[in-house]
Amino acid sequence: MKVKLQKPSRKKLPMKINYNLQDKFDLGIFLPLLGLLTFGLIAIYSSTIDHPTAVNNFEKQLFWAGASYIVFFIIYFLPPESIRFSAIPLYIISQVFLVIVLIMGRVTKGAKSWLDLGPVGFQPSEFAKIGLILFLAYWLSNKRHDINDFKELLMAIGIGFIPLILILLEPDMGTAIVYGIITLAMIFWSGISLFGLFAVLSPGLAVFSTLFGIPVFVITMIIILAVLIFFKREIFTSATIFVVNLGAGFLFELAVKYLKPHQQKRIESFVNPLADPLGSGYNAIQAKVAIGSGGFWGKGLFQGNQTQLNFIPEQWTDFIFCVIGEELGFIGSIVVLILFLILFVRLIRLTKFTKDRFSSLLIVGILALLFSHFFINIGMNLGITPVIGLPLPFLSYGGSSLLVNMSLIALSLNIYRNRKQHS
Amino acid sequence: MDDNSFGAGIRKDILFYSIIIIFGLFSFRLFKMQILDNKIYQDQSEDNSIKAVTLRPPRGVLYDRNFQYLVSNKPAFTIDIVPSEFDTSKSEVLEKLISANSGYLKGVFAKFRGYPAYLPQKLAQNVGIETISRIEENKSFFKGISYNVELQRDYSFGVNGSHMFGYTREIDAKQLALRRGEYSMGDYIGNSGIEKTYEYLLRGQKGYEFYIVDSKQHMKGRYENGQNDVVPSKGYDLVLSIDREAQYVAEKQFLDKSGAVIAIEPETGEILAFVSSPEFNLDQLSSLASGKVWQKLTTDKDKPLFNRATMSSNPPGSTFKMITAIAALEEGVITPEFTINCSGGYQYGNRFFKCTHVHGTVNVISAIEKSCNTFFYQLILKIGLDKWAGYAEKFGFGKKTGVDIGEETRGILPDSKYFDKTYGKGKWTNGYLISLAIGQGNIITTPIQLAQYAALLANNGNSVQPHFLKGYIDENNDFIPATFKTVHTDISQKTLDIVRQGMFLVVQGAGTATHIRNTKYTIAGKTGTVQNPHGKDHALFVAFAPFDNPKIAVAVIVENAGFGSTHAAPIAKEVINAYLQKLEGTYESKVAEAKPEEVTDEN
Repeated sequence: MKVKLQKPSRKKLPMKINYNLQDKFDLGIFLPLLGLLTFGLIAIYSSTIDHPTAVNNFEKQLFWAGASYIVFFIIYFLPPESIRFSAIPLYIISQVFLVIVLIMGRVTKGAKSWLDLGPVGFQPSEFAKIGLILFLAYWLSNKRHDINDFKELLMAIGIGFIPLILILLEPDMGTAIVYGIITLAMIFWSGISLFGLFAVLSPGLAVFSTLFGIPVFVITMIIILAVLIFFKREIFTSATIFVVNLGAGFLFELAVKYLKPHQQKRIESFVNPLADPLGSGYNAIQAKVAIGSGGFWGKGLFQGNQTQLNFIPEQWTDFIFCVIGEELGFIGSIVVLILFLILFVRLIRLTKFTKDRFSSLLIVGILALLFSHFFINIGMNLGITPVIGLPLPFLSYGGSSLLVNMSLIALSLNIYRNRKQHS
Repeated sequence: MDDNSFGAGIRKDILFYSIIIIFGLFSFRLFKMQILDNKIYQDQSEDNSIKAVTLRPPRGVLYDRNFQYLVSNKPAFTIDIVPSEFDTSKSEVLEKLISANSGYLKGVFAKFRGYPAYLPQKLAQNVGIETISRIEENKSFFKGISYNVELQRDYSFGVNGSHMFGYTREIDAKQLALRRGEYSMGDYIGNSGIEKTYEYLLRGQKGYEFYIVDSKQHMKGRYENGQNDVVPSKGYDLVLSIDREAQYVAEKQFLDKSGAVIAIEPETGEILAFVSSPEFNLDQLSSLASGKVWQKLTTDKDKPLFNRATMSSNPPGSTFKMITAIAALEEGVITPEFTINCSGGYQYGNRFFKCTHVHGTVNVISAIEKSCNTFFYQLILKIGLDKWAGYAEKFGFGKKTGVDIGEETRGILPDSKYFDKTYGKGKWTNGYLISLAIGQGNIITTPIQLAQYAALLANNGNSVQPHFLKGYIDENNDFIPATFKTVHTDISQKTLDIVRQGMFLVVQGAGTATHIRNTKYTIAGKTGTVQNPHGKDHALFVAFAPFDNPKIAVAVIVENAGFGSTHAAPIAKEVINAYLQKLEGTYESKVAEAKPEEVTDEN
């Protein structure tokens, strides 16, 4: 094992090495993960028990869970240096696959996101997340890159935007959003100034406002202008930011026109889900009904009528949470939320113990990824966020997503194992 | 510390509090939805829903080799129950209505315990129209009860074939657990015979229609104009090798007897007729009363459910003498000219093995013709047990024939290993072997093995494993032929000719079955009588015809009947004659084909 540098101010006692499990392996991260996986398998089993086409999904997911554990422990035991070395190649390979999938991918749910390699298919956009997080961490941890330098900031944003644009072309809006959030969170962690953050964030705000019609968009632009005046930066920078905002709004309007009809409908139905109760708003309404009708104790495992009568199409993927909401009720749902909360808090805590910036950034990237999935997925199940197709980490059915999320948790436990001090 | 620095404490706090805020928001939202607004959502959940109606595909029908129906489908009423909607205080009324025993409903509910109570279960099949109209009249009283017209098996084509066709039943919880994904509750599945073996061809694919329904389960219309609906596709029709006329004649022969007859086309191994008697009524098994019928069938001392044709285990008796003759000739133990003098038996040590008569001078051909035991007794010791068993194995004894219905036993073909195991090494003597030469003692065969044996003898030692399936008709209406393993015995033509000459003379010469001789077709065969410690002897007969160009090989066993020549041979003759006449086009059909009824009126 590598000898660790200790700050001179610390006690000069020989390092106390603790051989118990918690010292090498954060159970605060691992046990919630285990709990979430179990909930996921139960919910998948329940939602497919009598389904005409998806009934083997439980067995398949069980297989993927097993496979993920193998990958999990391999990554956990990787030498820490190898992680840093793999950042650049992984990022490049990811981009290549994202291009290949655009050329010869398989279309599912309106997006060209699947690549078939022989009998197994996978989603390059899932695996590219690892490449992005590693490479951004590698880039931003280099002290030569000052994030508050405009050019450096643009470079960092560029690293995130290459895969983001490629994924938007599939088009898979949900995953693209996650890439945006990961990039943003890691830039944020690098110490970007408030103004810089505003410059990065405001185009997103502008885009979001267009959803609610022209008046809202105009008001948003006025607010952005006011804030720019408040910061009193040089006129050229401020003007550039304003134009970028304006352009983002218009470009998005244009992009919506090129979206697939089902995606357009989803955006519409977020604004007004009741407009088309049997169309694209259907999922959102049925999911809410499923969760709401669950009550405090739930209807009992395998007894949820919304779930068992297959009200919600493909419930085992993006709407897995409402299986728990309906059949295990408020109690079950809260337990799932708490398991996620523990996982997230332990990850934040870990940022303080990492031995270098690279590791710290990795943790933040992983946290951003898991949290954005968590937020968007549960938000849409609860009718808070639009219906954007994103799986719930560790619970939703799907091999690619599970494998990637497990690998990332393994990565964070690897960082824990090699942290700067043993507590 | 500078807030605008890497991983500043304030930045950590921002992340932390963002997560806490979202967590709080979600928790509050859950609390509001699941606890405060629970009632509203519950009503919605019950009120407005979409119902998937399963469309079960018609099961493939069974044709005979000339595309005559053997088993088809007919529409009949079934009653479904959704346990969660049904008011159990009305159980008794309902049970009376469908004329079931009290407690029947409890049994139905118990069948799928652990499955969602929201899913409909099958309550009764083949229900009469009066019952259905009562249910319709009292729709609001019988909440959770619905009826459907479903296709049921139609067996009204003049032949029974209960053991080969097998029966279909509603899938039970155990099978469902094993085949999750392929089946759901209320589906039918083949449970025995051809229905079971070729379930994957016969079942077809289910379809679905989605409807919007209200809380009273009234259909309000198609969900999304039916664009999510799945059209069912019909199961494949099977073309069986059975000849319906021959089958009919074979079944008639066994009306008052128990036993089995199997007829095979020697060249192809195709089964032309297949009877195990007593039979059971397939039609009754599919009706509501099937519980009672089932109980009666399983407790019947005649064991009608037992497939005698493939599972009854008896020594083959004298029908096995050809094996001993072939082994002796092939091993050079005897020549065709070799003779012995039969003085009514064979003395081995201090035991005397009896013959049926005093045959005088016999050679191998006349020994088969007259079924002389003495001739064969002394042969087995010269051949050696294991070599003898080797020849029997070539003809398929001691192993399953692989006939394409699951229920089959191997029988026992003893060799020295077997004797060592049964009696202990060195604890058995040659005396144990002598009766094997005439098919008695420790050897056990099944009728289907004997039929295959007859087919191999008929077709110069070559055939195909016995089978029912000629092929199936796929979705493009193309006939897809089935292929099966070929069987070769590698016995020399000379030997086979000698043995067959013996079999020829059994019927055509001065043998044991001359009474079935007829001018039209030259039948060759061999009788057998098997000692039965529990009652009268079993009568056996293996045969093939016409002698010069065999088109049919037959094995017959009549249990507790007496001599093979008297009781088994005439049955073989009837089946052979019917089939050969059919081939020539001179047979007049005796099968009265009943028309499939629209709806059965009786339960």
